[in-house]
Amino acid sequence: MDNVAGFTDTELMICAAARVLEDRKTVFVGWGIPQVVALLAEKLYAPNLVQVFEFGAIGPQSLTPFVRGTMGGPSNIYRSLQWTNMNWAFSYAATGYLDYGMIGAIQVDAYGNVNSTLLGGTYDRPGRRFPGSGGGNEVASLCWKTIVVLKHEPRRFVQRLDFMTSPGYLTGPRARERAGLPRGTGPYRVVTSQAVFGFDEETKQMLLLGVLRGLTKDQVIRGMSFEPMVAEKVEIVEPPTQEELRVLREEIDPARTIIG
Amino acid sequence: MRVLASGAGLCRWIHPDDFREWVRVHKSREPVEKLVTEHEAVSRCVADGDYVAYDFSSLTRGPQALVREIIRQHKRNLWICAEFTLHDSSLLVGAGCVDRIDVGFLGYGNYIGRAVVEGRVQVFEWTNGALAFRMLAGARGVPFMPMRNLLGTDTFLQSGAKVVEDPFGGDAICLVPAMNPDVFLVHVHQADVYGNARIFGTNLFALEGAMASKKVIVSAEEIIEPLEFRKEPAKTTIPYFLVSAVVHLPFGAYPGGVPGRYELDVEHVQQLNGIETEEHMQAYLDSCVYSVRNHAEFLGRRVGWKRLAGVARRASIKEGYG
Repeated sequence: MDNVAGFTDTELMICAAARVLEDRKTVFVGWGIPQVVALLAEKLYAPNLVQVFEFGAIGPQSLTPFVRGTMGGPSNIYRSLQWTNMNWAFSYAATGYLDYGMIGAIQVDAYGNVNSTLLGGTYDRPGRRFPGSGGGNEVASLCWKTIVVLKHEPRRFVQRLDFMTSPGYLTGPRARERAGLPRGTGPYRVVTSQAVFGFDEETKQMLLLGVLRGLTKDQVIRGMSFEPMVAEKVEIVEPPTQEELRVLREEIDPARTIIG
Repeated sequence: MRVLASGAGLCRWIHPDDFREWVRVHKSREPVEKLVTEHEAVSRCVADGDYVAYDFSSLTRGPQALVREIIRQHKRNLWICAEFTLHDSSLLVGAGCVDRIDVGFLGYGNYIGRAVVEGRVQVFEWTNGALAFRMLAGARGVPFMPMRNLLGTDTFLQSGAKVVEDPFGGDAICLVPAMNPDVFLVHVHQADVYGNARIFGTNLFALEGAMASKKVIVSAEEIIEPLEFRKEPAKTTIPYFLVSAVVHLPFGAYPGGVPGRYELDVEHVQQLNGIETEEHMQAYLDSCVYSVRNHAEFLGRRVGWKRLAGVARRASIKEGYG
């Protein structure tokens, strides 16, 4: 359903994330919303984007409409450069061929660490249990720049994750390298339904880069359970354009299974 | 090699020599006909307590008919490798067949999540890539593989992996133990009676799984002549001597699809996605598994040939699936 602004939170997240991806680059695409982001980017901004999927599709020109839940279905892997398998797909990330990775999250903390496993309780008896890493841990560990896409809610931007499924900058500067993760990798952007964040070079903490037109910095920060760093000049994130919405609603997800 | 950290999770691991010995004794290189019914394949190859892995996903070329047969035969205490699982884990847990799950992706929907919360199933945390790498190690005959992720996370802490000092570079590196499942299930486009098999499209670890597993059940949309494999050997995914049993199961991935053959049945999948309560789960299992004798009866009586013709018609993309 449209909100008063004429677009849903999910639509904004998808559009804002699609604008981050660069043409003629490679991106490892996670399940669900990232698949739709990559489709939108390919149609509007990055026609030569090479999308890589963990189930072994390298560079497909996926057909739309998007089939919800699909991983490796024929429209999803249409006209790929290569059909291979999971071990090779992740090997492309492990050897540094993949510029971007994109994943969703249930929770994220100030260092961009991601939870997609559980909420509350203990590991053995969680309050709520979710699917877990899938390939998210590989994407966040091995791609050069990871983009995390999630809704802007205080319960999602937390001081302390209930479970760290996939690594951001862990505990801060140089922590990834100390843990043995590949040098020079890490979270690059966090795209939400209200804002876009990067990470401070020195502290590796989340840095507010842009807020949705019409919102203030304070409004955005009030929607989080920790205080992010704030860029010297905070940009305005434009709401979805008519063209973005048309492509999303008419071509990619006419049944509105993802965009809501 | 110095061990820097160990995950707390259990893992099923066997010595590579023990697996080699199994291959030597039990995986015959004799080209014998292995075409059997799904009932025979599952009763012969799957035992209570086995570790079971499969390729690919619930919606794409998954061995759904074989999974239903495992449920029909009331196998117990299975430990599964859940990767790209949307419904398989839910159905197997709902039927009381599975009590341990290695998680790459646990499954979709509320039923399976609640089973974990209520302690009805024990989970061990891995990642899709780690499980695939474990399978590769099992297929390479080595005890473990090094990988550069899992590191630094709670996922590692709940896995059965270890972090060691890389003896070459000195950095921390993660070792994942080889996986050698008792049983591997794979649904393919084409097979011959000996077990040679072809998959078109992508896969998770079809060859690795078939190599690394003690018993391998191949179900196939189509049985073709053995000579066809020799005419186009580059198309062979799995050679026959890895395979224990072959089952001819058209629409064997239903309600998922098989690329180039039939599309997934969205309505049936939504029905599965919607299972939340125990009552609902048992009603589904009764209707689609227990009350039908086999896959053909399920298709004929519960799905209907008209519906199947519909999903086949919708598979309009043929490129690459010949």
